[in-house]
Order: sequence, then structure tokens, then C-alpha cells
Amino acid sequence: MSELDLYVPAIVFGDERAFGRWLAAGAEDALRRGLARYAAAVDTEAVLQEALLRLWQVAPRFEDDGKPDGLLRLAHTIARNLALSEIRRRAPTQRGRGALAFDEAQDERIEATPPDPLLRAQLARCREQLPPSSREVFDARVLGAGRRSDAALAEQLGLKKNTLLKRFGRARALLLECLERAGVSVREELT
Amino acid sequence: MTDEELIEELAGAWREPAETLRFHPAWHDLGPEARREAHRRATELRRLEAAAHPEGHSGTTAAVLARIRAARPE
Repeated sequence: MSELDLYVPAIVFGDERAFGRWLAAGAEDALRRGLARYAAAVDTEAVLQEALLRLWQVAPRFEDDGKPDGLLRLAHTIARNLALSEIRRRAPTQRGRGALAFDEAQDERIEATPPDPLLRAQLARCREQLPPSSREVFDARVLGAGRRSDAALAEQLGLKKNTLLKRFGRARALLLECLERAGVSVREELT
Repeated sequence: MTDEELIEELAGAWREPAETLRFHPAWHDLGPEARREAHRRATELRRLEAAAHPEGHSGTTAAVLARIRAARPE
């Protein structure tokens, strides 16, 4: 049994807080990395959110096969099939898919890794070092992430959307440099 | 908007709630390499968002839980 599996009985029972903890414990990061190979062909964020909603709907019928990370494997299958379905729907012919052709029979394995325990404390320190204008957009876009569009956030801050995005890009770069100086990395390699 | 701004926007977790799967408008304006870069950047951003949230929820998790709660019968 993996650490993620500890949350599964509660998820199957319909406990959305357990679902949040399962995602935060490494499931979401693993599923996103599992979609990296489709990133040129689909909006992986939209696919992942839809896959998680579908997982939640079928979770009450989930049957454990006795192997570790059964729910994570099911989630990966749902996300992968959704990505492939979108690729086929948007480019219905093999020729149209061209360079985006994927080996649909390939069974990729994904593995969850827990978040770096040092990241939370170090992020708080690095955030304090940001210039005020960068900190303002970082807080608006990161602390409220996923709940408001960039257009709505820009309006709230009295900025143009492209100004918000430029300032956020600078804030993100400063934070990543600060974290790396402290020996904490969240960098992801381009695949 | 520039490609850099579109990549930054696409890397965000916000997606318009819809009955069916809908891609972010910025996705359609970018080429394959820029979309890969947005995915890579999103992976990093979700880690930062999770580290900044008291329960470790990234923007993706927050968005999904909000939609689950919104769909729950009264």
C-alpha cells in the first residue's frame, strides 16, 4: 500500500476533503507529468481537470486490485484516454494528426512523489523578498489560482491583462531563483 | 498579446467552467513548442500554488473541488 492509498477508502465513500489530500500528496503532480507527452496536442490543464471530475464520479465504484496506487492508475488511464480522444476528435485522420501520432497501446507508468517539505517555508521567505508590485500579482494569481480568470484578476488590480502576465512572469522568475539559491527546486524539465 | 504572455496565461490553472471539455483560448494561439513550455511552466506553478495553500491545494485542485461542490445537490 502506498501513502496515496491511505486516502482511497474515504474518497470512495465520497469525502471530497480526502480527494483534496490525495491530490496534494502527489497524485496531481504525477498525473500532470503523465500528460506531458500530449502537451503539444491538447490543453493538458483542461484535460487534467476534466479527468479528475470524471474520476470523482466513478470513484464510488472503484475496486482495489490489491496493487499499490490503484486509484492513481485509474486516474492516469482516464486522463490519457481523454487526451487521446481529444487528439482524435480534433484531427480525425491519421494524416491530420501527423507528427502528433502517439502509440496508443503504450502503457506509460507514472509514479507519485510527495511535495518537498522545505518548499512551503522557503517560498514564504522568498515571497517576502519580492518587490511590492511583483508580490501583489503573485498573491493575486497564486493564492486565488484556478478560481478567477486573468482578465478578472487584472481588472481587480486595475491592470491590463498583459501587464499582469508580464509582472507575474518576473515574479515567478525571481521566486524560482530565490528558491534555487536556498537549495529548493521546483523546476520541471521540458519533455 | 505576445507568445510569452500567452504561455503565461495558458500555464495558469483557470479554465472556464463548461459542460464539455473546453481548451483555454490561449492554447489555440500557440504552436507545439510554446504549448509544451506552458505545460512545463504549469507543472512548476502548481507546485508553488500548493506550497502557498494551507492545505496544499494547487489551482487545479482548488478548481476541481469548487466544481465538485458546485454540482453537489443542496
